[in-house]
Amino acid sequence: MVKIILNQLYAARDDWSLTASGTFNEGIHLVSGEVGSGKSTLAQMMAGLLPYSGGDLENKEITTSMLSLQFPELHVTGLSLAEECASWGVVPDEILNAIGLSGKKEVSPLLLSRGELSRLHLACVLAKDYDLLLLDEPFGSLDCEEKTRLCNLIGQKSQGITIIFTHEQDILPRVTRIWEIVDGTLVDCGKPPDAFQHWHHIPSVIKKLTALGCRPDNISLDDLQEAACRIQG
Amino acid sequence: MQDPRIRIAAAAFLSIAAFISIQAATAAFLWLLVFTPRLQIVKRIRFVFSLILMIVFFSIVLELFGGHGLSYFSRMIVIVLIGIWIFSEQKSGEFLSIGVWLFGNKAGFELGMVAEMGMQSLVSVTADLDRIRMADKIKGKQWDVRSLVPAGLVLVHGALIRAEDTAELLAIRGYNYGGTLCPKFPIRPMDLVAGIFAFCIFIFALVPVSEFFILYR
Repeated sequence: MVKIILNQLYAARDDWSLTASGTFNEGIHLVSGEVGSGKSTLAQMMAGLLPYSGGDLENKEITTSMLSLQFPELHVTGLSLAEECASWGVVPDEILNAIGLSGKKEVSPLLLSRGELSRLHLACVLAKDYDLLLLDEPFGSLDCEEKTRLCNLIGQKSQGITIIFTHEQDILPRVTRIWEIVDGTLVDCGKPPDAFQHWHHIPSVIKKLTALGCRPDNISLDDLQEAACRIQG
Repeated sequence: MQDPRIRIAAAAFLSIAAFISIQAATAAFLWLLVFTPRLQIVKRIRFVFSLILMIVFFSIVLELFGGHGLSYFSRMIVIVLIGIWIFSEQKSGEFLSIGVWLFGNKAGFELGMVAEMGMQSLVSVTADLDRIRMADKIKGKQWDVRSLVPAGLVLVHGALIRAEDTAELLAIRGYNYGGTLCPKFPIRPMDLVAGIFAFCIFIFALVPVSEFFILYR
């Protein structure tokens, strides 16, 4: 079974440092943390794109991996949307139809709005299956509708390890395990809903629902709605 | 060197001197060895290797076609070292202080601010270039000449967006023309000594030594 094991993985620069230990098994993981806490750095180290100062990272049976960077424009290599889709090895028509940009095949990706470019980028990334999929702030620049659509797409992933690095608090997919970076250390909060009691960055809605005695089973909108219905009911 | 005025003036004097003659370039190199934190600074600056390669290329071309390639190489290397030193010593806000000190709170402030933004942009572009190379690696693409066009487009596009954002932000905050700044510069005796030596090298490069001393012929 695929897994990625972090053993005292360590990175440091100036007066900032990050230490990460833990095992990421198959499923969807959420890594939360404040801006600047080291989420992107951890994602890049886990993708093998950034050297670490100490510790060890072990990949078990991971043959394909993908990291979606926070800023989608940095991924752009095609001079048109069609070229950009092709550079990801996906069929342009299928992707562009799915995200409502079918009439813009010859348009430069850099002429799209940030939200459109994010949609395009994520559609290309999620079109393929990877053993390890790392998504760095995938909800940035997306509106509520697109965030929900993205959550549904991520939720459909039935195999491999998907890790979402985000400080998003409102719209999240159902996850297998919750992690957070606190004071430069990666902390395993556990599986939801038990993870909620250890989670520093717990979204305020979940906190309120829990305080009202209606703890949601997970962190997705459906779970929150179900918990909220229990109050009314 | 703490005082940016002396640092920039010294760099200008030494660069011109090094360009003029090989003797002055040697003197400028010795100046770097004495007054800067040695050549360890070279390790901290990226693109040094590619810059040196470029100079080597042009030097060989010059040498092959009858120019003074070796002299050109030596002089240009010293100029690059001076550039590396000035870049590594530069701190945020210094250009603004120098601009105001030189030309006052109106034109000086504008010029200083533009220079500061330019430096900031350079830092952002370097960081973006790193991420673009990382993104190419993610896509399984080799970084080569063909990568330059899309990467260049992304970099220029990013720089323009940032410039537009900054302009809008300045306009929203009511920025019109100039500002108020009381620049303060730390002065150390050693900086003055280094500055005087740099100026002497510049003068010796411009004026033949025989003009200074009575030499027997």
